[in-house]
Amino acid sequence: MDCFPPCFKIFAIRASLFQHSSSEAEFSLRLQAARAFGLKSARMKLKEGSFLWYLYLDKLYCLLSVRNVKALVDYFHLLDVHRKNTLNDVLFYHFLHHVTTLTRRQINIVFNMLDWSAMGEIGFDQFYMLVCILLARENQLEEQFIFRHSRPVFELLDLDGELKIGADNFHMYNFLFNIKRQELRELYHDFDITGDRLLNYKEFKLFTMFSMDKYQERQKAEKEKEKDKDKDKVLLKKKRSHQVNMSPNTSFWNKWIRK
Amino acid sequence: MEDKPLKALDKSSGHRASGKSSQQDIRNLWTTATLSQPKLNVALSDVCEDSEGSSVSSRTRQWRKQTAGHDWDASWEALEDRKDKDSFKQEELDEHSLLELEMRLDSSVGSHVEDDDESRTEKPSSVSSFNIVKHTHHRAYWMEQHNRLPLPLIELMENEALEILTKAFRSYRSGIGRDHFLTKQLQRHIEGLKRRQNKRLHVSAH
Repeated sequence: MDCFPPCFKIFAIRASLFQHSSSEAEFSLRLQAARAFGLKSARMKLKEGSFLWYLYLDKLYCLLSVRNVKALVDYFHLLDVHRKNTLNDVLFYHFLHHVTTLTRRQINIVFNMLDWSAMGEIGFDQFYMLVCILLARENQLEEQFIFRHSRPVFELLDLDGELKIGADNFHMYNFLFNIKRQELRELYHDFDITGDRLLNYKEFKLFTMFSMDKYQERQKAEKEKEKDKDKDKVLLKKKRSHQVNMSPNTSFWNKWIRK
Repeated sequence: MEDKPLKALDKSSGHRASGKSSQQDIRNLWTTATLSQPKLNVALSDVCEDSEGSSVSSRTRQWRKQTAGHDWDASWEALEDRKDKDSFKQEELDEHSLLELEMRLDSSVGSHVEDDDESRTEKPSSVSSFNIVKHTHHRAYWMEQHNRLPLPLIELMENEALEILTKAFRSYRSGIGRDHFLTKQLQRHIEGLKRRQNKRLHVSAH
């Protein structure tokens, strides 16, 4: 039941403004238009000390533990003022505005993305999904999250229900999934096998596997860097301790001997 | 019971990057707190377990002989070891047999107090007898406590929800008016939350 007058609802910018095209120039134009509408990929952060900030995802499956879900259910019920097991757009907006650094436009986009049944309300399933996405973004686990949950993410991005995703879809949700511009170009260059400038689910799945491999290689490289740094530190310490152990007298005698 | 989660403050979970040490306390409470006493549960189930052909009372008598002069915790652990050796089957005890067990254990505690130094047995005896009593007579209560969220977490959630709902209330009031039934429903919900908070503060103050 929607008791709010139409003017009370906050409507998002529709993805239907963007039409499919085959030329590279129009591809970049669309990206620029998306940026102009304020959909820049500013780093979304959870506010420190908020309840969500204390939750964490399982690093392998990118899901919450049972305990965390229990806490989240109670939290959801605290916000479910009208006892319908849902949050309307006003409650949803104030919740996201309070716990994240998302702008009004971004919150509207997220609401429209999650309101897949077009009821004007968000149930606990969608709320849980959102929390997982926010936590993945906060902990820089986007690649892993998209890899583990490629089907639900694909369905979220597929706004029109055509079982295909355009570049505009990706860019619109850049602030959530952190797919950079260069990666987006590569994505469509390397994985658009059918050549229609759209990704179907299989192409999208290939992309997620590829980005997961890249992510793991980056992790390995970072670990090796840290190991090298530690080794250098240890060597430095040894050198310094060696220098300290050389007392002034011995150094004097050494100089005398050399003379 | 509510003090027990606070004891987990000393443990660090390491779920996030460093630099959040002061606020890790609440996270530690939630991720590492064990509201019930698992050792007690295991121990009592071991005590309750019975191999074929032997009674609980004889088992406890044997246990008492074994643990003469030992620490209380060590005696519980000895029971666990015996479980492995004798391959107990898990059975539920009647209340009567549990009470009997309780009485025998209490009497064994008394003998310990007579034989050993006061400092060694004073604290364990009172704690263990209390633990047995609470476990046997208030199982449902302790199961509920085990599943409840830690109080600091509940407070954090309620405070945050209150702030969010207060802002939402202003939007409701400006959007659909003060007299709309949804605005009133929200207002009642906020008042209910505040009352709950005040009650908790009142209880903790006293």
